[in-house]
Amino acid sequence: MATPGADLVKQMATGDREAFGRFYDRYAPVVFPLILRIVRERADASDVLQEVFWEAWRSADAYDPARGSPEAWMVTRARTRAIDRIRATRRRSETFVAPLDEAVAAAPGEPPGDAAERAEHRGTIRSALDRLPDAQREVIELAYYAGLTQTEIAERLKQPLGTVKTRIRLGLERLREVVKTSP
Amino acid sequence: MNHEPYDTLAATYALGALDGEERVQFERHLADGCAVCEAALRASAETLAALARSAPPMVPPPRVKEELLHRIATTAPARDGRRPRPLVWAAGTVAAVIAVAAFTGAFVAARYEGRLGHMAREAAALRARVQRDEAALQEQIAVYRNVVDLLRDPQTQIVTLRGLGPSPGASGRVVWHPFNGGHVFVANLPSAPTGKAYEMWTIGDAAPQPAGVFQVDTAGRGTHRIPPVEGGKPVKVFAVTLEPEGGVPAPTGPMVLASSK
Repeated sequence: MATPGADLVKQMATGDREAFGRFYDRYAPVVFPLILRIVRERADASDVLQEVFWEAWRSADAYDPARGSPEAWMVTRARTRAIDRIRATRRRSETFVAPLDEAVAAAPGEPPGDAAERAEHRGTIRSALDRLPDAQREVIELAYYAGLTQTEIAERLKQPLGTVKTRIRLGLERLREVVKTSP
Repeated sequence: MNHEPYDTLAATYALGALDGEERVQFERHLADGCAVCEAALRASAETLAALARSAPPMVPPPRVKEELLHRIATTAPARDGRRPRPLVWAAGTVAAVIAVAAFTGAFVAARYEGRLGHMAREAAALRARVQRDEAALQEQIAVYRNVVDLLRDPQTQIVTLRGLGPSPGASGRVVWHPFNGGHVFVANLPSAPTGKAYEMWTIGDAAPQPAGVFQVDTAGRGTHRIPPVEGGKPVKVFAVTLEPEGGVPAPTGPMVLASSK
């Protein structure tokens, strides 16, 4: 029986390095593809991953299991740090955001190679999102993976702000149902 | 009030897409402690975690873990599980509070760029407060340590002070060493009126010698360090009088505490 994630965090808070190793082995393969999808460069993704786990180690004693699963704790942190990274990059290069089709493309870190295999990968990655209506999926991808704010999304899609907000809300509600029922 | 608008704000916030005045408004609403929104944000975080999990896992480059383990082994000696010594413990707690406060500050500021200045000021204020508390704690520890050292010395005496005149309920004890001086601890002494303070006196064969002024807290307790008397001359009486707050060279006010001869 594997140690529950929350117990690993508790052990980490007492300085248990071995628990940290197991925590890393369990959650790094989950958050790494997410980070990679957002920052797109494997080297950048590795940096962000390290930063995210370092913060987890340093703040393990502040983790409260009543406020969420360790997985949600790590995913939220990983997404935040990855978006910070691409926003900083955007500011540096003084460009705005990547074109829409690029922003919503699948992770570029996948091995080049077999197109069919890649498509299958993408299919799995996006299975939960693909069960959303296109309009809802689009706003969630732009917000969550591309780090656009609601105002930026409205400008990008040339839609009223109210429409964007409604799509985000309905999309998130739909997604909640989808992940609840998926195996 | 209708909560519905907040449900929409919470969804957008959960995806990190809320901006402008609405974000400020929503964060204020959260800070007021809305359980409904907190629960919604928590549920959204779990949904997004499940979405991440639905992707095929990907093993990151091995060097990331190696570097992390190295970093942990070389920069976190305080976390190796050894029990810190009791006196160090207090300072350690203070340091941990500072570390957590600084970390939380940094994390939130990065996330909500617009509020960076505000958070930084808050973190700085907290740090300053913790430092003040730590200084007070260190001072107290120094007093206790000194008293314990005095108590180990066979020459040290404990002298009882009794309340007199205006404060019959007051009491005190002096821990006194003829060459090292000592400390006085008082209880049930009313706070000195504005502009006044209590002054300590050591009385031997000659005129009373001033031994410093002190105040008591709202509970009527006070602690004061009494300097040694020159040449280790014997002290026959310890007394406390009420005086102008700067202290005076010879007693002028009423005597509130004294030891019996």
